Amino acid sequence: MFKNYFKIAIAVLKRRKFFTFVSLFGISFTLTILIVLAAFIDNLIGAGYPDTARDRELYVNNISLRSTKNPSDINGGPSFYFLDHYVSPLKIPQKLAIASGNSHTSSYTNEKKLVIDLKYTNDQFWEVLQFRFIEGKPYAKQEVDNGEKVAVISEETRDNYFGKGVSVAGKYIETDNVRYRVIGVVQNVSVMQLFAHADIYVPYTLSKENFHNTDISGGYNGIILLRSRADIPGMKEEYSRMAAKVPLNSKIFDVLYTSADTYLEWFARNMIDDHTGSAGLGTFFALTGIFLFLFLLLPTLNLVNMNISRIIERSSEIGVRKAFGASSRTLVYQFIIENLILTFIGNAIGILFSFIAIQALNSSDLIDNLHLSINVNVLIFSLLLSLIFGLLSGVYPAWRMSSMQVVEALKAQ
Amino acid sequence: MIMIAHLFKLIWNRKKQNFLLMLEMLISFIVMFAVFTLLVYYYKNYNLPKGFDYDHVWSIKYNDPQGMQDADSIASFNASVKRMIQSLPEVQAVSFSSINVPFGDANMGTSVISNKITEQTEVYRVDDDYKKTLNINLTEGRWFSKEDDISKEKAVVINEALKQRFFGAENAVGKLINYEGAPNPGNMRIVGVIPELKDKGDFSAPGNGFYVRIDTSNQGRDGALLIKVRPGTGAAFESRLYKALANIIRSTSIDILHMDQQRIYKNRQMLGPIIILMVFAGFLIINVALGLFGILWYNINKRRSEIGLRRAVGASGHAISLQLIAEALVLSTMSLLVGSFFAVQFPLLNIFNIASGVYLSALLLAVLFIYSLVIVCAFYPGRQAAGIYPAVALHED
Repeated sequence: MFKNYFKIAIAVLKRRKFFTFVSLFGISFTLTILIVLAAFIDNLIGAGYPDTARDRELYVNNISLRSTKNPSDINGGPSFYFLDHYVSPLKIPQKLAIASGNSHTSSYTNEKKLVIDLKYTNDQFWEVLQFRFIEGKPYAKQEVDNGEKVAVISEETRDNYFGKGVSVAGKYIETDNVRYRVIGVVQNVSVMQLFAHADIYVPYTLSKENFHNTDISGGYNGIILLRSRADIPGMKEEYSRMAAKVPLNSKIFDVLYTSADTYLEWFARNMIDDHTGSAGLGTFFALTGIFLFLFLLLPTLNLVNMNISRIIERSSEIGVRKAFGASSRTLVYQFIIENLILTFIGNAIGILFSFIAIQALNSSDLIDNLHLSINVNVLIFSLLLSLIFGLLSGVYPAWRMSSMQVVEALKAQ
Repeated sequence: MIMIAHLFKLIWNRKKQNFLLMLEMLISFIVMFAVFTLLVYYYKNYNLPKGFDYDHVWSIKYNDPQGMQDADSIASFNASVKRMIQSLPEVQAVSFSSINVPFGDANMGTSVISNKITEQTEVYRVDDDYKKTLNINLTEGRWFSKEDDISKEKAVVINEALKQRFFGAENAVGKLINYEGAPNPGNMRIVGVIPELKDKGDFSAPGNGFYVRIDTSNQGRDGALLIKVRPGTGAAFESRLYKALANIIRSTSIDILHMDQQRIYKNRQMLGPIIILMVFAGFLIINVALGLFGILWYNINKRRSEIGLRRAVGASGHAISLQLIAEALVLSTMSLLVGSFFAVQFPLLNIFNIASGVYLSALLLAVLFIYSLVIVCAFYPGRQAAGIYPAVALHED
């Protein structure tokens, strides 16, 4: 039966080539845009170089200080002191990576000015994130504790500062008016990797910051690596217990909100600007759903309109089938399947176009080191989307088609 | 015209059938209204005069020296830093400023009262050379100078926008002004008025501006240095300046920003979303246009016998195609009326504080756009209809 429906669908599509073309154009372009967007978001949120263990990591980036007596608040990240003093001693984490936000430093070399993003990190940063070293190796605990002026630079920085492909063995880089010995070169990291991207990485002990400062709020990020995904609930538990006991030595603030979030939770929290409650994943998905619906609205309406226009054309076919006893339900079923076949063909074309668009985006200079790809998640999303699209645009015309009166339908035009 | 009333009647009779089509046109209108509002707003702002010069001006975040306690020592230290930089041959002017430098990311706002009116405004802490460094021309009065060191009342300068809000067309120089909530009202006096500086990027509308003079009472820890250099000054000088400053500003990394480059970044930030919006809107409209084209063509094909009859009784091909285009226009007018009712709420309710003129221009443009779209889509099918032979069309199928 399905085979028959398929044959009928293809025959109907071939009959009115212009309509088929317009419908497919609309469907495939709508889906292309949405698939590229999905690839973008997947790249932003999913695991990728060098943060490959994202599914067993929790991010400590949310410190929100409030006051019950006045409307002051601070929303930001934790300080080094908070991460080192309170998070580091916790039992469940396997490792804790600590990294600062990037500072834009200036480096003047050969009459050229380079702006180099500098990140201060601890030694475990290199154990949690899996960087690929083109040359050399990262700094270890010893070098960090001794405050040695060593640095790991990105491939791009090496090319800009020393020359393309030049070896950095024994060389020095000067930026921010400080001279560092280069001990490693890593493969470029995309700017979409918000916590891992930088042009140069140095030990945190070289920071000009005052580490005796006991403020909880500061410009650092923490990534907790767990032994397995199963540890996540237990870790959040332990974190909350610790957070409840943190003393706030502040004249202004008396309440602390902080959390250890999965990456998706942290992302949703930032989008919705909710620093105190649970991460609001529900709100985030609801908003995404509404956006998708609005974007699909116009193409769907378009498709519905075109389908309705073609109803009259098939009225004799419908009339004959109804006269022979086909129920309305069967007809609705058939027409919806025909519409779904159309949207799935559009989906296939859309995937092809997205592939081309993604190749173009990857090789363009719009965003550095961008590596979008169509992976399993994105494909499943596109199939789901075309299913929804097909159903939305097929139900009303199908119902109209099937509710035609037999006599009217069989009348000569 | 009776004809148009007749067309409206025809379409009203078939309103159920045409409902979805009108809904589609309504939503397209709303999308285009949003796009045109943004475009008109940006275009208007782009055409505003900039008010200052940003070529060859560098800005550097500057903190007062740590470890110095009293205001006078800090003031004389800062003065010596300024003299040192000023003495370099490549430097034309140097000025201190608060951290909200042009095209930066910082904003500093406050509330001020004058003439019994309260206004929100951006506040800038600047020194006597700010005017020279940014090449600002006064529209009234004078800029800060040494004579303000000893005057009893603090001297302030405001911009045209703020002047309009307080005094309308009257002169502002000599009038009193103060922070809202300050204990002694009226101990600040306006000495000059400058034009609005378009300092948030080419596409942002400048707002109220309130300029106070840096003195020992309001030196803050966070500020900036603005340096105007001679044209042709290169990275070699910048590197020397960098080293010299590094010995003075010890606590944070030094970032010498070129104001013209920062302006480009700021503009890109504003243009990015609008380009994406236009790509989306463009695609949606192409979709709608093609669909409209197909539906109109199909509807005309359906009415072949009616058209054939009309031609048989003497209507010209021209009249037929005009009628069909007019029908399509009437259809869209119904959607546009609903859409305009919705759109006109924006200027009436002053949403987002955008000038009414912007909304009304956008509304007009969106209406014209939809009408043009409909005419283009109905044109070819209309011509097809005009070419129908009566004898062929009236043939019994």
